[in-house]
Amino acid sequence: MSSTAPTVVTTTDDPAVAPPRGDGAPGRREGRVAVGLERRAVLRALAVAVVILVAGLFVPDLITSSYYMGVAADGVVLGIMAAGIGFLAHRSGLISLGHTAFYGGSAYGVAIFTTHWGWSPTTAAVVAVIGGTLLAVAIGSLVIRITGFGFLMLTLAFGQALYALSTLTSLRDVTGAFDGISVVFSGESQKVAGLTQAQLGAPDTFWPLAWVCLVLVVLGLWLVGRSRFGVTLEAIRENEERARFSGYNTYLPRLGAFAISGFCASIAGVLFALKASYVSPDVLGFQLAGDSLVATIVGGFTILIGPVVGALLYIYAQGRFGDTGNLELYMGLALIVVVIFLPGGVVGFVTDRVVRLRARLWRGRKGAGS
Amino acid sequence: MSGPVLRAEGVTLRYGAVVAVDHVDIAVAPGVLHGVIGPNGAGKSSFMDALSGRRRLSGGTVHLDGEDITKRNVAWRRKNGMARSFQKTSVFNSMTVRTQLEMVARRNREDDLAGIVSAFGLEPYLDEPCISISYGLQRSVDIAMALIGKPHVVLLDEPGAGLSQEESVRMLDHIRGLCSERDVAAVLVEHDVDGVFRVCDEITVLSLGKVLATGKPAEVRANPAVIEAYLGSQA
Repeated sequence: MSSTAPTVVTTTDDPAVAPPRGDGAPGRREGRVAVGLERRAVLRALAVAVVILVAGLFVPDLITSSYYMGVAADGVVLGIMAAGIGFLAHRSGLISLGHTAFYGGSAYGVAIFTTHWGWSPTTAAVVAVIGGTLLAVAIGSLVIRITGFGFLMLTLAFGQALYALSTLTSLRDVTGAFDGISVVFSGESQKVAGLTQAQLGAPDTFWPLAWVCLVLVVLGLWLVGRSRFGVTLEAIRENEERARFSGYNTYLPRLGAFAISGFCASIAGVLFALKASYVSPDVLGFQLAGDSLVATIVGGFTILIGPVVGALLYIYAQGRFGDTGNLELYMGLALIVVVIFLPGGVVGFVTDRVVRLRARLWRGRKGAGS
Repeated sequence: MSGPVLRAEGVTLRYGAVVAVDHVDIAVAPGVLHGVIGPNGAGKSSFMDALSGRRRLSGGTVHLDGEDITKRNVAWRRKNGMARSFQKTSVFNSMTVRTQLEMVARRNREDDLAGIVSAFGLEPYLDEPCISISYGLQRSVDIAMALIGKPHVVLLDEPGAGLSQEESVRMLDHIRGLCSERDVAAVLVEHDVDGVFRVCDEITVLSLGKVLATGKPAEVRANPAVIEAYLGSQA
């Protein structure tokens, strides 16, 4: 917080400000500023992120099975998109079925830029992410005023419109229509982050790139959520009318949240295109839109990593049950169980249990000490 | 006394064929507490919605500090000196008292937030989520948020609603003191007629959306039309 920012409670070193009444109550945060990022919390988050980032790089050494390594890599890619969807749902209360527009749009961007236009894959990837984000801004500017069911349907409509566009036979030369389009690195520089196309296609060598992106995305979303902007989003979600009567233009922050969410989906789409080396209309389809939302809900979006865990579970279930044709049955059952019994999702449930267990242990220790 | 900080002329609000507010005029000078009273359905809350920009006017104009703000949105109005509280307490339930007050204070450049917190006695509850404090305290948070940033005029829609008689009296006295101290003009809609007559400098009586009477409390109390239509034996 800047020195000019208002704070209710300051340290008692300042004689001009009276100390708060009710001192000593548990959980009080004298001297702490509630709104915005705190340096200590940011440094701690950065430290945790670095540890997780480094630890995750050893995953290919632990998972020797190429199959499960592929599951993990696919889960991370879907997890990045789900994290974006979860961020929007948690911070703005907006449930989107249209993030495939940004995911698929950026994936098609990589394919078209590299295969047709001969761009280097790195340039194609960066431009595709920017393009997907701009698409999110454009679509968001139209749909963000609507909430609830209307928002859900509008986002679905835009996603489906892009799907229909990708299948047009008149655009076959560009998109490949239903046949899709291969991603062919044909420019001078044929590497992305030091990885060749063959390495990107192999799960264990693709993993570090996906993992770094995931950690950075989650860290970024955490920082945004904790920032003043995040608090504003929370206030708008909580009581939009009061936010407006408190002087906030609620349109731009919500559009910003939608764009950030679309940015995440765009990164995921680019990673998918790089890994699969092939893009088809499926990346814009309703199936993926529904699956990513189900993964977000099953994992739980009130906690940042919930959607990521949901995506990993989904991809695992897809591999486990996909061939039997029962995947949708099991996912449907999982969704029913979560919505009825675990409103915070799987991660929310586990976190809640851990918090309760810690509280019980703490009480037990205090009781034993007294 | 300086010119009015809030001036509304011919304010009209229609809901379909129903005219909820019918050509109502009001002018409030800085530091003046202007009460709006009337029986249920008189159009008091609709009038507040019209003044605050919550609803688009069917007719008339609203001026703030001499500027026509009729077409301005509520966020602009808040940033430029018009704040309001709500009949049904409107706070950010899951946020702590501290977080929401600091957020609103930052947005509205309040440099004495501690003074407002102290004035409403909210210090012990700063780290409580708003949903876990009593309704009376939530009401205090609601009004405190409206007073943050030294608004030129604050619209208070039934600040005593949901409070006990004793709490309501205390709240109105408190508002009176704060408005005088901070030189804030206030429009106060309130069912507690005695309270309004006690704390307000001017009073407008609405009936079926129209102004029945307006003036100093003593004048309004003595107005035969008001006595007949509203006050009855209370006069």
